[in-house]
Amino acid sequence: MKDASSFRFRLANRTLMQRLFEAPAVGKMSPVSKLLAHTLLLIWSLFVLFPIYWVIITSFKDAAAVNQGPFYLPFIDFQPTLDAWRIQFTEDPNCNFGAIARQLGLLVYNSFVFVVSPVVSLAPMEPQICKIYLAFTNSVVISIFSTGLCVVVGSMAAYALARIQYAPRFGNILIFVLLLVGVIFATIYAGAPWWAATAVALAFFFLLLRALRGVFKTSLKNGDILFWIISQRILPPIVVVIPIYVMFQAVGLLDTHLALILLYAVANMPIVVWLMHDFFANLPIELEESAQLDGATRPRIFWEIVMPLTRPGLAATTLLILVLSWNEYLFAVFLATVKVQTMPIMIAAKNTGEKGIFWWEMCALIVVMIIPVILMSILLTRFISKGVLSGAVKG
Amino acid sequence: MKEFGNQASVRFENIEKSFGDVKVLRDFDLVVEPGEFIVLLGASGSGKTTALRILSGLETPSGGQVYIGDENVTDILPKYRNISMVFQSYALYPHKTVAENIGFPLKVRGMGKEDMDAAIHDAASQVQIENLLDRYPRALSGGQRQRVALARAIIRSPSVFLMDEPLSNLDAKLRGHMRAQLKHMQKSMGITTIYVTHDQIEAMTLAQRVAILEKGVLQQLATPAEIYNDPANLFVAQFIGSPPMNVVHGSLDGSRFLTNGVHVQTAVSGHAEKAVMGIRPEDCRITSPSEGTLSGKIFTNELIGDHALVTVAWGEDQIAVKAPKEFAGEMGDDIGVIIPTEHLFVFDETSGQRIR
Amino acid sequence: MASLDDMRQPGFPPAGTTRRERFAEWVDRHSGTFFIAPCVTLILIFAIFPTIYSIFFAVSRVRFTPDGLKFRYVGFRNFSKQFFGSSEVHFLGRTDPVSLFGYAVFAIVTVAVVVWLWRSRKITTWVGMLGRTISAAMAIFLSWILCASLLSGNSIGTLYTTLFYVFVGCALQFAIGTGLAFLCSQPISGKNFFRVIFFIPLMITPLGVGYAMRMVADVTKGPIEPILGFMGLQDWIWSADAWSARFMMVVSDSWQWIPFIFICMLAAFENVSRDHVEAAQVDGASSPQIFKEITWPQILPVAVTVLLIRMIEAFKIVDLPNIMTGGGPGSATESMTLHSMYIWRANDLGSSAAIAYLLLILTVVVCASFFNYVVLGQIKKARA
Repeated sequence: MKDASSFRFRLANRTLMQRLFEAPAVGKMSPVSKLLAHTLLLIWSLFVLFPIYWVIITSFKDAAAVNQGPFYLPFIDFQPTLDAWRIQFTEDPNCNFGAIARQLGLLVYNSFVFVVSPVVSLAPMEPQICKIYLAFTNSVVISIFSTGLCVVVGSMAAYALARIQYAPRFGNILIFVLLLVGVIFATIYAGAPWWAATAVALAFFFLLLRALRGVFKTSLKNGDILFWIISQRILPPIVVVIPIYVMFQAVGLLDTHLALILLYAVANMPIVVWLMHDFFANLPIELEESAQLDGATRPRIFWEIVMPLTRPGLAATTLLILVLSWNEYLFAVFLATVKVQTMPIMIAAKNTGEKGIFWWEMCALIVVMIIPVILMSILLTRFISKGVLSGAVKG
Repeated sequence: MKEFGNQASVRFENIEKSFGDVKVLRDFDLVVEPGEFIVLLGASGSGKTTALRILSGLETPSGGQVYIGDENVTDILPKYRNISMVFQSYALYPHKTVAENIGFPLKVRGMGKEDMDAAIHDAASQVQIENLLDRYPRALSGGQRQRVALARAIIRSPSVFLMDEPLSNLDAKLRGHMRAQLKHMQKSMGITTIYVTHDQIEAMTLAQRVAILEKGVLQQLATPAEIYNDPANLFVAQFIGSPPMNVVHGSLDGSRFLTNGVHVQTAVSGHAEKAVMGIRPEDCRITSPSEGTLSGKIFTNELIGDHALVTVAWGEDQIAVKAPKEFAGEMGDDIGVIIPTEHLFVFDETSGQRIR
Repeated sequence: MASLDDMRQPGFPPAGTTRRERFAEWVDRHSGTFFIAPCVTLILIFAIFPTIYSIFFAVSRVRFTPDGLKFRYVGFRNFSKQFFGSSEVHFLGRTDPVSLFGYAVFAIVTVAVVVWLWRSRKITTWVGMLGRTISAAMAIFLSWILCASLLSGNSIGTLYTTLFYVFVGCALQFAIGTGLAFLCSQPISGKNFFRVIFFIPLMITPLGVGYAMRMVADVTKGPIEPILGFMGLQDWIWSADAWSARFMMVVSDSWQWIPFIFICMLAAFENVSRDHVEAAQVDGASSPQIFKEITWPQILPVAVTVLLIRMIEAFKIVDLPNIMTGGGPGSATESMTLHSMYIWRANDLGSSAAIAYLLLILTVVVCASFFNYVVLGQIKKARA
């Protein structure tokens, strides 16, 4: 028998090629593939980071540094300045410390007013001054409230669909849709006021519901309702934005916070229902049954037992919806004309300068817009990769 | 909240339950006396948990009525039934401390903070977990979780106490300890208790009466001793006892049981073309081949501890016999077995009923 | 909405209950309705109602007047305009003349689709057959437009520009995203760092992405200018050529959305059962074999689901072309949403709604086909 140390497969005795291309142990990688993987990942990191880096340094450039060709490194290629930033906050002579304080006060006031009565207009602000503060506060108010609404309402529906049996009759839904078409038809072509048409249609609906009780046998199941809600995400926003514009005009909600809050909430509702349904369905049902025996009502079980248990998933979902509503552009461009301009609209508006785009100002704005989400995402990365995806990606 | 007092009787009347085409409970009748400890015993799928859930209100029966005290509770929501339940998984709320878990039933009833704290301490002291009140369930051992679940169940002095295999997640040693404690607690509090298990030792040791279920049908309802000594049918006879009862197939002619070419004298008489003879291993005795009721060869001889279990091959059948631990027969030895007539059960093979 | 709660009414209303308790009781009894009603109502008002309302825009000529909108019914003229009339080139592209190659490809595709439809008649119900017929009709229509425009050397319209963004974009994003996720699921150092980095673009507003990419890709003052100069491409302007502009759009979209594919696929890779992989390693399988035989089949259902989600969102693309090129050169980079938006700005609400509706139909048919024939198949296979 040969000496064990000369055994060819021993780690110490491998040939050069083996050392390079073979993994030293199960669960490890060979040096070559490790190098390859790191190179690819580094290249991609560069590709990801470079545009962000460029936006950040451009925000510290002045007109000359932008226009005279590419300069890459601050202090070496060009002298960084804070001009672009200073302009954002001081461009307007009316925008002094008092105005900023007022704006921040309005943020608090708006939040309060919205909680007390959503119908009161939320924008007693003068749109001409302090554009960046206005846009920023608008964006904050709209995205926070729409996210809150969306997550609460969506989670409730998702929970109900996971635990309560529904069986709406197919025929009743058909009647509802037909009456809806009737309402629109009467409003557009017969000139009936929309509220009267709606009232008549609702009365008809409930009458028919009673009259036709038991006529229709086919009913939908929870899975169908869930699929219906989730499938709403397919709807391209452009399809609904024109009618919604007209609707909000009719009820005088155009260019208000409430309009955008409601719209964003509905647009993101399918995502919440989809993600949260999975979390709820996977909770052990004994906890809820036990609470039920202990005398808790359904709403109490939802708030006190179920919601705390899904906290990681809830956090991830909230972050996702927050980012989506923070970044939304299409609805805002149609519906937020003057008073409730959000950050994306403000940035887009910078596009139409007569002397070309002031890139350095634009970049400062983009950075202002990115910072909050980056901060939040770093705080919640742990939740994101664990929470959302464990529930969402089960296929 | 309607008070039934904490010694309510429970009555199931002709309960039927089916899930789709599967009938889980068939014509289930059961009366539980106030303060009684009843164990529902059965294999998995026998309908015992369904019966419990129907009583708790978590399931609605397909037919029949449920009474707690004199009240028909069939249509009543769980929270008005004044029952509490210990789940197999304990169902402790992981985001609440032990104290909050125990106090939850009182909290949802809107009890004041001070009364609640006193009640929590009282309940916790009954199961000796007062020192754990600030912990979260994840920091507890299995036995401690079990106690928390118990405390939560007793805190509002329910009329009926339901337990769904509460000990099955514990290890064997702890199980014995908790069993004793449960029995003591139930006795001292006197709450009507319905306990579901598949473990016959738990059933025999805990119950005042045992209800044995199989395939949704109640097989026998009797005290543990009766169940053991006087089984109503073949299923009960085979289900209870460890090692299980020996069964030998044959036919009954008068008071003689014919099998393997031998007549065995029985205490009962009747005629059955197909019959089953049952005898418990501890009632048989080992003897020399010539003296036994039957004779065969030793199949195995296992030393259990305080006794030896000898399996005797007899024709096509095998008879297990409890022998003294000194017994030293080898495999293949000829041996005789004495079957005392008074301990012999005979069952009709087709109906499974006992022939008396 | 009727709800069958688990229980019938509670029998005894407690005697001395306060009003508040009775209210809580009432809420509890109707909790089935209360939980789902807000969600359904909001969706009815802001999604279903406008969608139906939109039909009335699409079949009307809409004018702004001092006392509101005036609708005049014009039938399907707004739609037919997109296919046969003044907007045909804008929407479908130039479909004349059709080359021999175009005819040949179209004939092959049509025969293939018809054969597929004919074969499926035995394996599905009449509902399934209806769906398959719709999918087949859409496939034949789309392939005709493709053959008549691009394959015959003509320019394409906003319809195919959108489809280009969706299919080429999704394919690219899926390939790179999955590749990166695979690398990050390997035992290498620093993968948490890469995870955080790769995740960032998803957080940035699409608008910001558009501007950032426009700056980075600027051929005169952008950072790649010296590289282009080195390669002798000083005079090349990507935004002046239709295809390079479209490709730039796809690159920017990918920069933003690869992270989405990446995190979903990373989770999928990490959920692959370790036992199976280790068993294969002990059996002596090589890494490519393990990937092909163990990992890939396990993540396939997730992969197609993620792809479906990405496709649904990709159909809505609007911010990037609007910011980066304004739809230009000409209308080469206009997506259907942007097309509809520009027509809306020109106050032709009817045509705008018609194009939006065509986008809806296209999205629904394509996504539903993908869901039914690919995603459901994979999910069923995984469950079996």
